Order: sequence, then structure tokens, then C-alpha cells
Amino acid sequence: MLAAIEGKGRIRPDGLSKVTGSLKYLTDLSFEGMLYGKVLRSEHPHARITSIHTEKAQQLKGVAAVITHEDIPGLNGFGLIFPDQPVLCDTIVRYTGDAIAAVAAETEEIAEQALSLIEVGYEPLAVVDDPEKALLPHSPKLHPDGNLLHQTSYIQGDIEHAFHCCCFLVEETYELPRQMHAYMETEGGVVVPEENGGITVFMGTQHGYKDRFQLSRILDIPEERIRVISSPMGGSFGGKDELNVQPHASLLALKTGRPVKIHQTREESLRAGLKRHPMKITMKTGIDEQGLLLAHQVRILADTGAYSSLGPAVLDFAVEHAAGPYLIPHVKTEGFSVFTNNGVSGEFRGFGGNQVTFALESQMDRLAELIDLSPLEIRKRNVRRAEDRGPMGQRIAPANGAADVLESIDRHKDEIEKAAQPADSATWIKRGTGMALTMHGGGLGYGRLDGSGGRLEFSREGKIEVYFGFEECGQGLLSVIETIVTDELQCAPSDMVIVIGDTARVPHTGSSTASRATSMVWNALQRMKGEFSSLILQLASDVSGISVHELKLGEGGIWKTYADETLPFIHYRDLAENVFSDPITVSTIFDFPTTPDPVPGGHFLYAFAAVLAEVEVNLLTGKITVTRLDQAVAAGPVISRLGYLGQIEGGGVMALGYTLMEDAAMEEGLYIPRNFDSYLIPTIKDVPLEMNVEAIEDLYDGDIYGPRGVGEIGTVAAAPAITKAIHSAMGHWITKLPVSPEEILSAVNERGLLSWKRNK
Amino acid sequence: MEKEQVSVQEEKMDSESIEFRAVINNKPIHLSIHPVTPLVELLRTELQLTGTKISCGIGRCGACSVLMDGRLVNACLIMAFQANGKNIETIENLSEPGIHPIQQAMLMEGGFQCGYCTPGMVMAIKALGDETPAPTDEQILEALSGNLCRCTGYAGIIRAVKRCYHD
Repeated sequence: MLAAIEGKGRIRPDGLSKVTGSLKYLTDLSFEGMLYGKVLRSEHPHARITSIHTEKAQQLKGVAAVITHEDIPGLNGFGLIFPDQPVLCDTIVRYTGDAIAAVAAETEEIAEQALSLIEVGYEPLAVVDDPEKALLPHSPKLHPDGNLLHQTSYIQGDIEHAFHCCCFLVEETYELPRQMHAYMETEGGVVVPEENGGITVFMGTQHGYKDRFQLSRILDIPEERIRVISSPMGGSFGGKDELNVQPHASLLALKTGRPVKIHQTREESLRAGLKRHPMKITMKTGIDEQGLLLAHQVRILADTGAYSSLGPAVLDFAVEHAAGPYLIPHVKTEGFSVFTNNGVSGEFRGFGGNQVTFALESQMDRLAELIDLSPLEIRKRNVRRAEDRGPMGQRIAPANGAADVLESIDRHKDEIEKAAQPADSATWIKRGTGMALTMHGGGLGYGRLDGSGGRLEFSREGKIEVYFGFEECGQGLLSVIETIVTDELQCAPSDMVIVIGDTARVPHTGSSTASRATSMVWNALQRMKGEFSSLILQLASDVSGISVHELKLGEGGIWKTYADETLPFIHYRDLAENVFSDPITVSTIFDFPTTPDPVPGGHFLYAFAAVLAEVEVNLLTGKITVTRLDQAVAAGPVISRLGYLGQIEGGGVMALGYTLMEDAAMEEGLYIPRNFDSYLIPTIKDVPLEMNVEAIEDLYDGDIYGPRGVGEIGTVAAAPAITKAIHSAMGHWITKLPVSPEEILSAVNERGLLSWKRNK
Repeated sequence: MEKEQVSVQEEKMDSESIEFRAVINNKPIHLSIHPVTPLVELLRTELQLTGTKISCGIGRCGACSVLMDGRLVNACLIMAFQANGKNIETIENLSEPGIHPIQQAMLMEGGFQCGYCTPGMVMAIKALGDETPAPTDEQILEALSGNLCRCTGYAGIIRAVKRCYHD
């Protein structure tokens, strides 16, 4: 249906090493004399530690070191906002992923055996496993300031009065599950002690400098003596942005003086790792007789788990996006992020947007049904126009994306609006379609430190070296850098060397998160290309005596602007021999663009997406099959065709899993799933055979901000499109994800959708 | 006391090592190794063939897929004693002497992103093609259903398989 994206289809720079298996991930590395580390995690979701005995473990042959909280020279805590998560717990454990001790040994097996010899005494405490209960006055306090990590709200207009003026109201509570990132490479890598008393940390993260800062605080050694090599990664999706086993491997490496490798097993990763915030969202939304939104009241309750991580920021994002791309005069949104003894929730692709978008879009479909409008029509009547303000009343970069993606869906109107139809001849299979719309902010938001930059160098070897402090998680950043640099400087990929993910070499360019890296690379090149080109051309002019105006950068070297030649006039390599002083270097520092209005966390650059889903519901088994998952995305120009396509297709399927199968469910603070046998993610058999992506590349007139990142947008709006498709197929509204076959079957029975009598 | 007991146990383990002989990527390999060392560990740690990945360790994700006597297996579930005497082929062998058409198709169609599932996926696609040179959609889905990919949503992988076996 939607036209495939046209554009450049260059092979990505890391492609060959990935398809041949020759790429060394950081967990693939080995060093001379390397030890293997293991971390002992808590047996209880909430307990007082009464004793820790490591003597037996220390005596085990092959054990080089056992560490506890007593071995931490600096701050025993980490966390991207508040460092409230202990590196190694001393008195209290607050979830079963809490670390208590760590071991380094000659082999992984010995390390594992040593863990079993560590004796920890616990005095179990009452488990707070529900955010509602956590807020009750008599609930045990998990942190000194209580169980409310963060509370925020956004209010405009007069919600109570506006509800009286509504013709139709829908009030519903939606429940969203605890999704696991499920990056295929679990956390880990190697920490190598250096002669200056410092360390080199070979472990994946989405912001190397932030890891360096946090590790410095824990280890009590200056940041300059910590080198973080953070790229490449076998997936992250937000999950590796926070520290995980870096502190433990670092402490063990410093204590033993030997390289220490930790590579978590899937079970360890599931138990200790971050998840998407489970949220309970209540929305009351009203429209007038024209179907125009009048009032929207939202209450968001997020289970942030045992520690802060990015919990406050995720909640802020959810509150900001609660009204989505719609113009609603009266809004009242309140959010609460609450500590529990469940697994720690944190950063995850979509960042709180997925949860509220599911609730909001479900509301829109219910309202459409009440007033007898199509899902498409009610959205068209309420969608923001290019120059409207952002969802919190803030000024944003004008963009017509919301209307554009709706228009793309409009071309398939007939397909969406058809009622439930039996698929082919099987009367027990019902087919339905659904759509959803979203807008999603990029960057960290107003009032947050969100600096970026970049550096270009012309090296003595005649290479154009490109430096960014970003990481390659798989998203295709290297391809983005290669494409932008070759476009802007007209050089060939073979003329460049890209350096990322190494704090010893790269500038501070901020995190590889929040759909920001593509945008920042493009902006950095706009700032650097003029000066960089001039300096190189000046050198070429000095060497050749030809005026700079007659020279230009090109593939392989400097070309004459007027001559129709097949080779460069001077090769970069030859030109570099004339650089006698410092290499030519150009760098830039700037901030991610933000709104001029002081709305804390409010965004300025947004991307937009609309999703069209089709499902088949098997009334006999309750199984849902997604047969179509097409997306239209408006995020500015496409830089890398395959990268863009992959982000949207992959994001959509990740959301398919969120909708239909994924839940890291917990019972009394204990994870029910342990591994990929009990936590299921989509396989190739669970996805549509073909997905279509339409990229709307136009920017609004005068937009100077260039391409927006698309790392998150493809994952935000698929869930409500799929659940609306289920509704279209069988008339059943979904309020809780993932949709279980049991729920479908019980709806089939209640609605009498299956008749067991012949010829009725 | 504790230490002594443990070391006795370890010596006993050593005495239980087997002489492991296999052909791995066309090279004869001879190792003395504990019989229940998983093949994936033998490949990754003993032989530094790190193209074969480890992700779930229980045979559910396929990141460690290799060919054993031509059949696709999860190397995390095969123990050294089971691989003894066998012919093992890993991702490292596939691009010898030149890049395999499957790998080329994966590059052209965006059949990977982070790349961590890719070696296993490529081996599974090879096993499919070895057995079924022109697979149907159903055969493609069946053959790759044991290999998880979290990045691509499988769209690029499906395109790559079709490009490789049908174009």
C-alpha cells in the first residue's frame, strides 16, 4: 500500500563485519590474564541484610577477588538522575536485581561456584508490589523521602466546566505491561586496569561520557583516568543507557590488577535489567456535537520499581504527550511515578510516549464510535495544524507532519472503514483494521542539559576524520554519519574515518538517545563544513598556486571546478604531506534546539507517525495475527534509506510484541519469566510478510533543523492501531496489554460470536 | 579445608576431560576438554570463533546457530561430547573465499541492524537454502522461526532471503 521509501541504499559501514561475524562486540573481547566476573543478586525483593560472609568464596581455588559494599572507594550509588541505586547493597535490598557482592575468578564456572559460597543473611521485609498500594500512608517507605519518586502535571483551561459542555464522554482505565528491551546482546564487556591507576571500560552504553562520570564518582578516581569504549552494541533500545555491570567489573579489575570480563546471562539480564514502565492510565475525554475535543483529563500512575534511573523524565514525557497531536482547549494531566519492590523501570524506546499514546488513541476510537464518525474523520477534525503550539502550550518548530501522515492514511480510507469481515472461507476467523496517530518529541527537552557538537580533522594520512561521541547500537548511526559527511563534503566513504564511542578520542556530543543523534550529526556538519572545506582548499591552493575559487573537495581529493577530469587534481593523501603544523581541525559545540517557552522537559522538534494495522482474530483459539502493519512517518529528509526503513519496521514489530505477547510480569516482587522460553518476543512467524513505510520528507517552509531522528517514532502508535483492528474485527475494546487469547475467547463467548449449531 | 576439597573435585573433573576431535571450518581440531562444555563456549572461548553469539543459552533465540554435519543446531545445547567427531561449520567459514550470496543479500536489503543475531540468522538461511533451493514463504518462515531478531522486525530478513533465493 504505502509507497516504499525511495532514496539512497548504500551498504552500511559496519555491514560487512556484521554479516561475516568478524565484528568484535565488546562482550567478544578477551585479554591476556583476563578474569571472569559474576554478580550476586538479592534473593528477596525487599529485605534487611543482616550479614554478608564471603570467606568461603574467597578461599575457593581460582577466585581472585570477592567484593562487597566495603570495597567501594567512592559513592556507593548510581543513577542517571539521582544516584540512589547501590552498586553493592549494604543494609537494604529493594528488588531481586539488587547486587550484594561480586566475584572475579579464573573461569566463569568458578565465579559461579564462588557466588554460591557467599552467605547473605536476610530479614525479609513487607514487599510493596503495587504502585497504588505504595502510595497508601501505611505502606513501608522504600526510600527516605517516601515512595513517590516524581509527581507532575499539566493544566490548561477549566476541565470541570468543560466536561459539562461535552456531548459525549469516554472514561476508561488502561493498563500497560512491563516490556523488556530484549536486546540480543546482554549487558557486559571487559574492564582493563591501566598503569596510571585508571581503567579502560569496554562496555556498551548510550552515553560514554555519562558512564565515565558515574564511574569516577563510584571509584573515586578522576574522570581523565577512565576511558570508556562504548560501541558497538548488540542492541540497546534505551536499556543500556544506565549503568549495569560496569561498576562491578571496574571494582574487580582495580582490586585484582587484571582485566575482568562480565557478560550477563539472559536470566541475569532479565532479573537485573531495566524495563519499560508499567503504567495505569485513566482518561476521561469529551467531545462536542461536532466531534471536536473539548476536555481531556488524564491520570498516569507509573511503576518505576526500586530505583529512580530515568523515572522522572519518562513521566514528564508521558504527561507532555498525553494530549498528543490534538487541539484540546481544556486539559488536566497528572502523573505519579512510584517506587515499588518490582524491577527497575527506566529508559525504553518511546520513553513514556507508547503508554499514553495507547490510552489516548483508544479514547479517540471510542469517541468516534459514540458520535458515529470514522476513526480517520475524528482525528482529522481535531489534529493540530503546522503552526499550532505544542502539547503543553509551548512554541514548537512548525511542522505539518500530523496532517501529512493522516493524509497518507486517507488514501486507504476504504480499507480502514470497512466493517468486520470473515477472512476467506473460514467463518471462525474475523478480520479488522485499525489506525492510530502520534507525535513524538526529540531531544531531552527544555531545561535539560542537552549539548552536542562534533569534530572534523584532516589527518596526516590524508583522511577526513569524523568524531562524534555517539554509539552504534545497531540503529545505523555509522551509516547516517557516512551519508551526511559524504553529502556535505562531497568526499567518498573511503576518504573518511569515523570515530565514535571512545571517550579518549571523541568530543562531548551528548547521548545516543531521544532520537537525537541523526539530527545532531546533520546540524554539526552544517556548522563545520564551510570552515573545514575552506581550510583544506586553502592548503591545496597554497600548494598548487591555483585560486581557492577554482578548487573544490570531491571524491579522493581536490578537484578543479572548471576541468572535466576523471581524477582529482591532488589526492588527499598527497595533500596531507604538506601539513607541517597541527592537523586541520574544525569543531563545533551547540545545544539541541529547545522551545523558547519555559516548559520543563517540553520538546521543540517532533516527528509524526500514523499506523494502519490489520488483524485476523481466530475465534476458536483467541489468537491474533497481525497481517498488516504499515506506517507513514513525517520526520524530515531520509538520510539512510535502509536505516530509516529498518527503524520503522523494527519499531513496529517491537510494538506488536508489546501489544500481543510481551510482559515481564511480577508476582510479589519476583519475575515470573526467566528467559526467552517464558518471555516471548515476536518471531518471524508473528509478523506481516510485508510492511510498508511511507516517509514524508517535506519540512515546513523555513525549517532550519534538518532531519529528525526516527529511532523511536515507529514504536509509538502501533499498539492502539492493532487493538482498534481487534475491535473492528469483533467489537471488543481492549484496555489491557498484552492482549491475551483468554480475553479474546471470553469476549467471543460474551458476544456469542461463534455458533456451534449448523445452518443457523 | 574447603579449598582442599574443592581442588580434589577439580582434579577429578580434569581426569574426566575427553580428547575432542572435530573438523571445524575445514580444519582438524584437537582439544582436551570437559565433555559437557557447550559447543558455543568451545567455539567462543577455546577457539576464539566469536562470530557465533550467545544470547539465551537455552536454545530459544538461535544466536548461536551453527551447522553440524550440515544440520542447523543451537551451539548452546550441543555438548562437546556430542560434537566430538563431527564436522562443524560456523559463520567464519561462510565468507571463505568470498562473501556468500546470503551475506550479500542481507547487506543489500537491510537484513540486520545491531548484527548480533545475524551470524546465526545467516547460518539458518544457509541451512534453508541447502535443503530447499527455492523456498516458499511458508518454508522461509518455518526455517527462520528459531532465530530471534529484535531490531529489524524481520522485514529486511525476509526481503534478503527472497532476493537470495528467488532473484
